[in-house]
Amino acid sequence: MSCLIVQSDKTLLLEVDHASAEECRRAIAPFAELERAPEHVHTYRITPLALWNARAAGHDAEQVVDALIRFSRFPVPNALLVDIAETMDRYGRLRLVGDPVRGLVLESTDRAVLEEVVRARKLKGMLGERLDESSVAVHPSERGNLKQALLKVGWPAEDLAGYVDGEAHRIELDQDGWELRGYQKEAAEGFHAGGSGVVVLPCGAGKTVVGAAAMALTGTTTLILVTNTVSVHQWRAELLRRTSLTEDEIGEYSGARKEIRPVTIATYQVMAARRKGVYAHLELFDARDWGLVVYDEVHLLPAPIFRMTAGLQARRRLGLTATLVREDGREGDVFSLIGPKRYDAPWKDMENQGWIAPADCVEVRVDLSESERLAYATAEPEDRYRFCASSDSKTAVVREIVRRHEGEQTLVIGSYIDQLDELGASLDAPVIKGETRNKERERLFDAFRAGELRTLVVSKVANFSIDLPEAGVAVQVSGSFGSRQEEAQRLGRVLRPKGDGRAARFYAVVARDTLDQEYAAHRQRFLAEQGYAYRITDAGDLLAGEI
Amino acid sequence: MNDNAHPGRPGTRSGSAVSPGRPPTLTSWLRGRSDDELTALLTARPELARPVPADVGALAARAAGRNAVLRVLERLDRFTLQVLESVIALGDDRLSEPVGATPADLAEALGVKPPPAPADDPLARALDTLLGLALVWPDRGRLRPVQVLRDLIPHPARLGPPLRALLAALPHAAVVRLADSLAPDSTAATPVETVATALSDPARVCGLLEQVDTRAHRLLDGLAWGPPNGTVANARREVAPDTAASPVDALIARALLLPTGDDTLTLPREVGLVLRGGTLFRDLALDPPPFQGTERTAASVSRASAGQAFTVLRAVGELLEHWSQEPAAVLRNGGMGVRDLRRAAQVMDTDEPTAALLVETARAAGLIGADDRVGGEWLPTREYDLWRESPPERRWLRLASAWLESDRVAALTSTRDSGGRVRNVLGPGLTRPGAPQARLDVLGELGSAPPGLAPTAESLEARLAWRHPRRGSAVYTELVGAAEEEAAVLGLTGLGALAEHTRPLLDGDEDGAAHLLAPALPEPLDHVLLQGDMTAVAPGPLVSELARELALVADVESTGGATVYRFTEGSVRRALDAGRGAVDLTALLERHSRTPVPQALRYLVSDTARRHGRLRAGSASSYLRCDEPTVLEELVGDRRTAELGLVRLAPTVVASRLNRAALVERLRSLGYHPVAESGDGSMRLTRPEVRRAAPADTGGPAESGTRGELARAAVRAVRAGDEAATATRRPVPLPEDGAPGSRAQAAMEALSHAAEEGRRVWIGYTDTDGRQVSRIVEPSSVDGGFLTAYDTTRGAVHRFAVHRVTAVAELGPTAD
Repeated sequence: MSCLIVQSDKTLLLEVDHASAEECRRAIAPFAELERAPEHVHTYRITPLALWNARAAGHDAEQVVDALIRFSRFPVPNALLVDIAETMDRYGRLRLVGDPVRGLVLESTDRAVLEEVVRARKLKGMLGERLDESSVAVHPSERGNLKQALLKVGWPAEDLAGYVDGEAHRIELDQDGWELRGYQKEAAEGFHAGGSGVVVLPCGAGKTVVGAAAMALTGTTTLILVTNTVSVHQWRAELLRRTSLTEDEIGEYSGARKEIRPVTIATYQVMAARRKGVYAHLELFDARDWGLVVYDEVHLLPAPIFRMTAGLQARRRLGLTATLVREDGREGDVFSLIGPKRYDAPWKDMENQGWIAPADCVEVRVDLSESERLAYATAEPEDRYRFCASSDSKTAVVREIVRRHEGEQTLVIGSYIDQLDELGASLDAPVIKGETRNKERERLFDAFRAGELRTLVVSKVANFSIDLPEAGVAVQVSGSFGSRQEEAQRLGRVLRPKGDGRAARFYAVVARDTLDQEYAAHRQRFLAEQGYAYRITDAGDLLAGEI
Repeated sequence: MNDNAHPGRPGTRSGSAVSPGRPPTLTSWLRGRSDDELTALLTARPELARPVPADVGALAARAAGRNAVLRVLERLDRFTLQVLESVIALGDDRLSEPVGATPADLAEALGVKPPPAPADDPLARALDTLLGLALVWPDRGRLRPVQVLRDLIPHPARLGPPLRALLAALPHAAVVRLADSLAPDSTAATPVETVATALSDPARVCGLLEQVDTRAHRLLDGLAWGPPNGTVANARREVAPDTAASPVDALIARALLLPTGDDTLTLPREVGLVLRGGTLFRDLALDPPPFQGTERTAASVSRASAGQAFTVLRAVGELLEHWSQEPAAVLRNGGMGVRDLRRAAQVMDTDEPTAALLVETARAAGLIGADDRVGGEWLPTREYDLWRESPPERRWLRLASAWLESDRVAALTSTRDSGGRVRNVLGPGLTRPGAPQARLDVLGELGSAPPGLAPTAESLEARLAWRHPRRGSAVYTELVGAAEEEAAVLGLTGLGALAEHTRPLLDGDEDGAAHLLAPALPEPLDHVLLQGDMTAVAPGPLVSELARELALVADVESTGGATVYRFTEGSVRRALDAGRGAVDLTALLERHSRTPVPQALRYLVSDTARRHGRLRAGSASSYLRCDEPTVLEELVGDRRTAELGLVRLAPTVVASRLNRAALVERLRSLGYHPVAESGDGSMRLTRPEVRRAAPADTGGPAESGTRGELARAAVRAVRAGDEAATATRRPVPLPEDGAPGSRAQAAMEALSHAAEEGRRVWIGYTDTDGRQVSRIVEPSSVDGGFLTAYDTTRGAVHRFAVHRVTAVAELGPTAD
């Protein structure tokens, strides 16, 4: 019995406990996207995009078909194999090439395909003058849009036009007292070989280091886009620590400061800021001849930046994320505009290898008091989630959890400021929220990192990119409705491997039989699909000390 | 009417066995064949037994009939056909005596040397086949073709007609002139005989050939290997050997070429044979062309074909389950619309041509039928319920056999007919009578390849052209192409080679096929893997019981080799609605899970069950009651429920002005989950109803039993009929013009007499179709105007209306 089952909707089910599972995983990874990785059976999906990426990476249909036949437990339906071969065959019929005389050109040896594409309504306005029977001119600024549109009509173009070299700038990794991990090296090299793309690594697995390694490999001026100012400072600190870059070489481009240096770190917020209807800071993209653009937390990429990115196709682009799930379903745009997924590692694999801390996820179900239930029942629909998520009954439970983990670095995370303030007062812990000044935030984070502060109450400002290595316990009291990636990112805050190797604890405090519970189920889905099984505990038992 | 002789039909003699002095006929030869040989004939040519002929005379007449012979010619391979053509060419009764061709003549003319072992003699084998099919019959050691072949194959081996046929069409004067110049001293009776006899001697023909010049020889060489006709102006010219001006004149004058039209000259068969040096074929197709193709391992062929078979089963099962709930509409012309086909393809995860094939096959197998209402729907039949429960290999066999026998060609779906109308799946216009034969031909030919060999399409085509040269036509080629593709889709072939389980199926051995297929199909499992992300994976097909329970409690997320189920609050509630309890569900999962039941899933089931039925709604006056006042508080306090007109009657009861159904629906849309309640306060449980059509008439074979059994029975009937026709009998005189009823009275008396004495009698009878038939019967009783008797002709007890009995005869000892 082999370990792979091929489904008719082109998903692949891999039994992970099987002896040959690892071999099989390596064989199918190039052409199938890992979709879910729960305990026993992982689900991969064969998509046209994945097949074309495999072609781009030098795999051919024969290898794909062979891998499926070799590992499949049941015979693979012939129609599916034929479909795979046909899909892969569509790649490369069209090529985008840089011609020294004619500029950027879309060319094809298959005239019929070119004719179809030239006449396609979706491509109107993206193609320029017809040069001859087998080629059409393309305006360089349409390169990204055209590639995206060609994907949609099913004739992906092989982009051979290459990248601008950008302004060279020497960056070297300074591996003093630390070492680039195997997978980080692999990810950086996988990216560099492809020129652009997305690296998916769990929180705490060191994505910044992958970024630094990619910068070192590229050796050019670099623009780094991050989520917020605290993150700007963390990147800066990391780069100073990990690379040969000096303070003078790294600029910060945020609301407060507008420095443009060989390596410039900017926030999405400032890039997306508009003044009188125009993007005021768009020129940053052209301020220098950037050789590399890094998108941190690429799953949060806001729509305006998407549009700007379409015009940056000639520059190398690196996307970094832990959770490529978007509630707006625009994962596909990330791949087509930033680039294909170059590296992906299941969370549990990283945990097994010790790169991230093992985590124990607990859902604590709190019964609302009779009066709270009544109040919840009569609340306006738009206020109901807020009401149950921030109910007072949770406070006692949170206090009990924090008490139990006394001595450990504990984060209490929530979405509603009133609730957080109340908890802060009750726990005698400082609260970091949107209105907290950056300076104050950093002071508190530093104190927390140093261990002077045991408990910190944070709002969603700390969802991402905040590096708190020693945080071992997180208590989530409320969230942004059913956001899957928020849940994962919050768990990520406690996944940095601990000095003593202890496991991280993640508590989600949920009001029973309310919207809170429904959203919690949805929020947990991403993590459940990564193999994190939530334990459900009754708050009553917890308070009574039975657990 | 005292016998059933058929004067004028060839080879039939009125009701008597062969007398020693009489020349043998096809009928007499057939009568002399053994029962086994006749059974073999009827097995090979089943159309001869439909309906069963009355006696051997009728059998012979039918076997020699034009259409019957045309049909059997289609089944011959190229070599057998060449042998048959040789028999026709050499055994023509218009050639000179003795009539017929000996096997030795044939061997020489074909250039086949008899091999050391007679069993390996291809010529002998071919002749056996031809004799077995009654296309050729022996006449005192010489083989003669059935008469009609002379017309069906006018130019056997591309030779012209015999001299006698050509001369008979000439004016008498011309024949006389030829006779005078070629054989002035002949003693033959007629000028035609004179010329024919003269030229039947090859030496004489050679002599004549020597008299003409090389230009004439070149002309003849052009005609020698056929076609035997040449065009020339004024073919009917009058010429004599010594006045011949041109080579053509010289040939005409010597009867080496004879006119068959105003401007056509034909090379007589006798002359053609001499010119060919006695050989009939330049390219004797002794063996089929060798296969060209790819070698596959038996394992890969079996895997691929079983995989397809399994895919087909799953797809058909899914579609029919889907149609149980949402049937497809029947078009006015009886078919199924394009949109429904597209939806079917989606349900089955396949493309439309494949969907069309599967739908047609399921109908052929009687699994779907149209209900007979106007604007009807295509629904699974009750047969489907039985089919669903049978083991997978049997399920596949049912589909595969139905496909083999069906004359409908799914590949024609979406093409246009001559009137420009699009042909719909399940609709008219997809029937092609040749389709089953084309399928058998393709599979049979693949079966003749070495196991595992996947021949190329061209190679297969060449083999089929050798195997059945007379079938070739554009339609046949199209049917063959469709058969190849459909066999692959259905899993009768794998990777282009014949699947091992298909071999027994072609011989009608379903048990054998099932035996080979079963181990190759994935075995149904009774367990699933439960995971923390609320999914269950069934790593293979499930036993149907478990599959149905799981489909109730969880939503199917993907299918294929495995099935992935997802548990949601909605799916669990569906199971609860259908009467399952939380304990049942948890027990089901524990019993069938290979992995521990995740805690989250337990919570999902128990939470849903806890909430399920907490709210109960009644229709008597439309009320809502609930044991928890807060729930009702919540409900009544909900601004959105204002339109429901809720009035709180008690802490645990709320009434509504809406009728129950509307109330429940509205509450559900608001996110509450009330359960409807019946009059006695118990929960009303609902589950989706599945729908079925009446069993469909699939137009399959009406006969039961195997072909061999049918043929044996037919032979028995023919023999008995023959006995009836040829029996010596003493007629019982029936008054021709007596008082009304006196004939019937006399017949009744004779029959009653025979019944009393237990004697067999011969009767003449007018059957319900008005045909005159004769039977030998053993009367058992005569009453109420009916004769009840054991009919030896049919081997069964029958009732005959006495007024239809036209003659009664006592049987004497049969003439030897």
